[in-house]
Amino acid sequence: MTEPLLVLDNIAKNYGAIEALKGVSFSIDRGEVVALLGDNGAGKSTLVNIIAGGLEPTSGRMLFEGKEFLAKTPAEAKAAGIETVYQDLSLCTNVDVVANFFMGREITRKVLGVPVLDERAMEQVVERALASAGTRIPSLRTNVEHLSGGQRQAIELNRFVHWGGKLVLLDEPFAALGVEQTRRGLDMIRQVASQGIGVIVITHIMQQAFQVADRIVVIRQGVVAGDIARSKTSPDAVVKMITGETLVGAGPAG
Amino acid sequence: MNPRTRHALEFILDNLVWFMLIFVLLVFSAVIPNYLQLGIFANIIEASSVLGVMSIGLALVIIAGHMDLSVESVAALSAMAVGILFCSSGIGIGVQLHPEWLMVPASLLLALAVGGIIGALNGFLVVKVRMSAFIITLASYIWVRGLVLVISGGRSAQDLAPAIRWFAIQRLAGLPLTAWIAIACFVVFSLIMAKTPFGRHLVMIGGNETATFRAGIRVNRNLVIAFVLAGAIAGLAGWLLAIRTSGATANLGVGLLFNAFAAVVIGGVSLKGGVGTLPGVYAGVLLLSAINTAINLMGLPANFTQVIHGLLVLAAVLLDAFKQTIRQRLA
Repeated sequence: MTEPLLVLDNIAKNYGAIEALKGVSFSIDRGEVVALLGDNGAGKSTLVNIIAGGLEPTSGRMLFEGKEFLAKTPAEAKAAGIETVYQDLSLCTNVDVVANFFMGREITRKVLGVPVLDERAMEQVVERALASAGTRIPSLRTNVEHLSGGQRQAIELNRFVHWGGKLVLLDEPFAALGVEQTRRGLDMIRQVASQGIGVIVITHIMQQAFQVADRIVVIRQGVVAGDIARSKTSPDAVVKMITGETLVGAGPAG
Repeated sequence: MNPRTRHALEFILDNLVWFMLIFVLLVFSAVIPNYLQLGIFANIIEASSVLGVMSIGLALVIIAGHMDLSVESVAALSAMAVGILFCSSGIGIGVQLHPEWLMVPASLLLALAVGGIIGALNGFLVVKVRMSAFIITLASYIWVRGLVLVISGGRSAQDLAPAIRWFAIQRLAGLPLTAWIAIACFVVFSLIMAKTPFGRHLVMIGGNETATFRAGIRVNRNLVIAFVLAGAIAGLAGWLLAIRTSGATANLGVGLLFNAFAAVVIGGVSLKGGVGTLPGVYAGVLLLSAINTAINLMGLPANFTQVIHGLLVLAAVLLDAFKQTIRQRLA
């Protein structure tokens, strides 16, 4: 298994005349954590959306586990084993914690041939998942609208840890978290990666990137401005790549 | 606020309509002579069967975050189709099937199919063309009613086949079978909404459509099914309407939409989507019916009904807004 988990080959995306992505190429291995950095509007979220099946690229191709891959819907990406945690939280605040945790993947049992939600089984799974991650939520049956921003984000993070898959995309996952919760979130990422899952994490915070990532990829104005192992660079150098002061460590040729 | 008060308050908010129903029934029973009778209560349930069934379909799409204004016209078209085929006088052509009971499933299937097809068209336009459900179903509301006028020529069909009429006459525990059909619909659809993944998904789509799409739920498919169900249920309401009036007139059921709307909103379904349960809607329907019965018993001119219904719709929407403010306080 030497082939990379996911290869992006010259992915471009135009919105009319605006080129959000001009041709992004990088790859990620199994069990690797890649921090995706870049200034506001650099195209990071667009890229995540393309991998996750929410957007179609204008051109370019992707290889997932060595095979040509393009998810037309998030459902397809999910079926292929790609989990995504979005910047704007993807929770339905009008239903409870359990319902959100199992959104679209409910455990059912058949009653007279009709699938019926197995609430107890789902509640037990959620209880265990949250407990093992050290997340405390007063009642799993409260609607998410009554929970704090941090608790909501914790639900999302626990959700991806639980479902796993093969590749996890995290778009600014710690925006609403406190110091302690962030530390635990970073631990979660390492723990997920140690299971052989690839993780792409978008962040603004240099310190987080250096804490968790094996490799740092910088996107600037829609192209890869830097792709370098964490151990071979420094926060200062990365900042310069983000702002465009240097082209040292520019992306792989071609 | 301690958790217990909060819990109690939420319970009251969630079931507000049932408390209102009980309150209204108590007041009417105390104030209006002859109101407190089993026969009156049976009548309230009986009179609410058509409206009740129609409200179920409307509630489904509103809970899913959309709107279906066409249910009233769809019911009228289904009723007219049944009337024309199975009535023996007026514009009815009096189709006879043997054995006679075959007319029951035949007329029922016809009504459901008519409704389902229009529902499918609504759903397709909403999902594929991405137009506002409000506008699309408003158009359906108008053209379907127009179609009723066209195929009936403005005339009516009378004398529905006795085999079908039987449902309005045969009683079980004091209620006609048509009322039991409505109750059965509420039970079945309440279970679907509360206990099945499909129902859960509709509620979540109404809450946050983007999130459900990202989670891999087939949003479009679920929405189209909801619209088809709303249409088919409206067709069933039309079938019940034809049975109740033993035929169909061109203006059959005019005004039902707004009553259904009132019932759904009074029943605790939020127009923003994602909030509401079908038992609540049934309580809303019964509440309207209880008020109508009171108006009749007090001998008020029937024209008053419309004024009161209009005010009720207004009150319901205000109540919806008020409940949301309270909930925000609670959160």
